[in-house]
Amino acid sequence: MNPPLLPRRHFLRQAAAASAAVTLARAANPAPASVPTAPPGIVDTHVTLFRWPFRRLKYDSTPALVAKLRRHRVTEAWAGSHEALLHKDLAGVNERLAAECRAHGGGLLRPFGSVNLAWPDWEEDLRRCHEEHRMPGVRLFPGYQTFDLTHPDLGRLVQLTAERGLILQIVFQLEDPRVHHPLLSLPVIDARPLVPLLEQTPAARVQLVHFAGNVQGTDLRALVDRTGAWFEFSRWEGNGRLGQLISPGPGGARPPVPASRVLFGSHAPYFPLETGLLRLFESPLDAETLHALMHRNARRLLPG
Amino acid sequence: MDPLAFALNPADYGLPTREELVGYRIWDTHFHGFNATTDPLGQFHANNLYVRRMGIERSITLEAGGTLRAPLQPAAHDAELRALLVQERAWLSGITPIDPGFPDESCAKMEAWIRHGPCIGIKYVGGNSRGIPCSHPNNDPIIRLAAELGATIYIHTWLKVGGKPRSPGRGNLPGESTPEDVVALARRFPDVRFICGHSGGDWELGVRSVRAQRNVLLEFAGSDPHSGAVDFAARELGADRLVWGGHGPSRSYATELAKVLDSDLSPADRLKVFGGNFRRLAAPILRRQGIPFEL
Repeated sequence: MNPPLLPRRHFLRQAAAASAAVTLARAANPAPASVPTAPPGIVDTHVTLFRWPFRRLKYDSTPALVAKLRRHRVTEAWAGSHEALLHKDLAGVNERLAAECRAHGGGLLRPFGSVNLAWPDWEEDLRRCHEEHRMPGVRLFPGYQTFDLTHPDLGRLVQLTAERGLILQIVFQLEDPRVHHPLLSLPVIDARPLVPLLEQTPAARVQLVHFAGNVQGTDLRALVDRTGAWFEFSRWEGNGRLGQLISPGPGGARPPVPASRVLFGSHAPYFPLETGLLRLFESPLDAETLHALMHRNARRLLPG
Repeated sequence: MDPLAFALNPADYGLPTREELVGYRIWDTHFHGFNATTDPLGQFHANNLYVRRMGIERSITLEAGGTLRAPLQPAAHDAELRALLVQERAWLSGITPIDPGFPDESCAKMEAWIRHGPCIGIKYVGGNSRGIPCSHPNNDPIIRLAAELGATIYIHTWLKVGGKPRSPGRGNLPGESTPEDVVALARRFPDVRFICGHSGGDWELGVRSVRAQRNVLLEFAGSDPHSGAVDFAARELGADRLVWGGHGPSRSYATELAKVLDSDLSPADRLKVFGGNFRRLAAPILRRQGIPFEL
């Protein structure tokens, strides 16, 4: 317990000095061979280009976003398009995304196009993403794209992306519904229909993006236990939540989500990039775990 | 592993080091450390790890006395919490929730927890059983007493989209105030300063609502982090009217710190927002309560 009247600032500074001493002591002792000594770069699996439909975002110009990502040691970012939320011409959306990444990505952006199951002939959009634009995956926006995860074509999309070796990113609730524009009325997207679909297609590489699970945690548990889905953590809110979800519980109990299936995602430029970065430091995570979250898991899902 | 040590250097990622966070002198004016139904004290102690890791200088709990669900009903842990506010006053302070549906009882609670207790302010929670927002005349005796005590006044506000036709604020709970309620109240008490909490939930609208009412400060915790929001608020209101809150443990310090770190505020303005503005607001009552602090 703190001495009651020791000014907090002094106490915090003492603690900071102690922490620095530990860090220095570690620096004096070589790290395990598996941990590189240079600070690792970060693969951000969730950024989005172009205009958010409801306001200008601070970093919604691609050069500004890329510069911001570089300032924070992001070395690769998987980029979707805000145009995919509401546009009907997804082929045009994907073409512009690919061109933007080539023109302004500086070798950092990897385009993730989109298909909209609610529009006709989405299979052709998928083919173009893969064969013409050489995209590594596609990103769905259920709700905005007017379908949910009970859509009868979703199983076929999972199957096709698996056959093509594409990553399928499924984005949940981009914005707090309490602050939606009044004209928007989006359904809450239930993740549970994904479970049997992914069980039927074990080769699928599916990433749930901005997904926290339902209040009971039942959907998250089912996805962890019964599928090989991957998880991006930008929606894992609460002090230490990231660490709590991936760290073993008392007595070494299995964590709710294996750290090996968790990926860094910032939801920039809608969220500040700093949010996701600070989550990495807020929880007391060791270097091995940080490396896994920052880049190693992403490299397993999408080899460089 | 030292629980306060970072395994990698935040500076390598364009983030403040822990020492720099400490240097910001962060006062968390929106601390929900005791807001738990089963074990409030346990939650508080568990959360302290993150308070210390992120270099928070002072935590100010908004649930000192009763609970947010029933502000005027004594809670089982009241005595322990009250003792804690005295014992840990070097870094922990309390604000007590009131209910404008019951102004007399609210004033009695302020007497017990502020004049004769350790607290430094009051909180209007998000809704109440009688559906009385902060703009209602019921609030006048509460504000008069708060002014007499020098108590800080924090008002939860939201503009939840809902109703038919859908519009911001029509989805609010009964008695849940909007920024415009705060403005209406603040006009009646031009010499009292108020904190409009959560920036109204929807900061684009909340900032516009309070912009002209200069005795209203804006706190922006407890909503999703939106890049550019603090820049916008600082541009429209001035950095002197912004107050930082952490809203933990239900919100992450990462979320709330990032709102400011994302902004283009000068280092001096960051210091104001992270704690300086609140310290100036609360200085008289902090001194009266014998709470050690530096401006």
